[in-house]
Amino acid sequence: MKESIESILRKLEGLNTIDLIERKLNVKRSTAIKKISELRKLGYVETSGGGKQPRFYRIYRVKISKIGNPGLYDIINQNSPIKLSKPFEERIIGKKLSIEEAIIRAIKTENYRVVLAALALFNKIKDYSRLYELAKKENVRRKLGALYEVARRVIRTKKIDDKHLKLMLNAKNERKFIVPHAKSKDFKDIQKRWNMYIPFNKQDLWRLKE
Amino acid sequence: MIDLDKQNQLLSLIGEKLKEKIECYIVGGSAMMYHGVKGETKDIDVVLDDEKSRKILEKILKELGFKERDVRVLYFRKKNTPLLLQRGEERFDLFVKKVITFEITQSMKNRIEKVYEYDNLIVKVVSPEDIILFKCATERPGDRIDASNIIKSFDVDWDVIVEESINQTKLEDSLFPVFLFDFLQELKEDFKADVPNEIIDKVMKIGEEMMEKRYGKDK
Repeated sequence: MKESIESILRKLEGLNTIDLIERKLNVKRSTAIKKISELRKLGYVETSGGGKQPRFYRIYRVKISKIGNPGLYDIINQNSPIKLSKPFEERIIGKKLSIEEAIIRAIKTENYRVVLAALALFNKIKDYSRLYELAKKENVRRKLGALYEVARRVIRTKKIDDKHLKLMLNAKNERKFIVPHAKSKDFKDIQKRWNMYIPFNKQDLWRLKE
Repeated sequence: MIDLDKQNQLLSLIGEKLKEKIECYIVGGSAMMYHGVKGETKDIDVVLDDEKSRKILEKILKELGFKERDVRVLYFRKKNTPLLLQRGEERFDLFVKKVITFEITQSMKNRIEKVYEYDNLIVKVVSPEDIILFKCATERPGDRIDASNIIKSFDVDWDVIVEESINQTKLEDSLFPVFLFDFLQELKEDFKADVPNEIIDKVMKIGEEMMEKRYGKDK
């Protein structure tokens, strides 16, 4: 007998892989793929991962009504090899969050993993002048400069112009910690130059190279 | 009535007019629309952290043509009532921290699953469990239907509901579990909502113990 959509959704609600769906529905892989495709068309499935990462299917019992544009965590997950688990769904209504804004917001979180994952965004920056203005507004210019230099040691980034680099170096009245209580054993030169504690060691950054 | 598009338009207008960031919590039917379980609502229930934020929102809404409405019509003799602002068929209910007998707690803030940014207005949508609790607190026409729809659509974590109802009694001299017991019982009997019996028993027991503590044992 054909199972109702409601009962399938009830069984599958939450995060699934295709293997898990096979087991939960007790069906063959090809049937599981077909079911997921049907549910996606109806608007109950959100897919993430893929490529080198395993593919995840988040299944909801009510239709997903996504409004607005992606928030900070989505932007980072789209652009960084280090993926973050979202503490909540964040959507921006009426405008799109730019890479420049995302970097500044990531710094403002003072969260180790968020800042680490956001380092990958430095190779997507289009407008350094805009980035500088945002950093000035939020008083995170030295932090931004220090993180830019860390990012350049691991990934390819567009070079920031001397004018903005100098302005960032001259910024005053910033707290010395990017992430509270976190200091690096490495990057001593960057820490000294920017008078800022880098929260990562060299070893923490290998995943950015993926 | 207000649908999700209309709600977005209204909140965007407020967000644009705000000069600094204000965070608010959306509860009730509006929150249900974000969760995808309701198509339209009579009002947008907004809970703010302080009176200052309410005053700012009030000023903006009045600039947008909203007029204050007598709160007694809807919340007759209840405590912690909202400021009602209406423009045609659109209405905002602005609460500060408390919604009648129910208070926004840190644990509820931690359960927030959806955050929407309308320029300077940051809207946090409470979880389905907390919507049920708010529905129990407000007890307006339609609140029971809404609560039963949430129960049908989500895998409700009943332990959260029980714990939060106890939590509320610690904040204020309230007998929230007593009201919750009635509310859940009615949902089960009148609306055939799938409320586990053990949860109803548990809430009843907690309510009885609280009544005993307050009024003494019946002899």
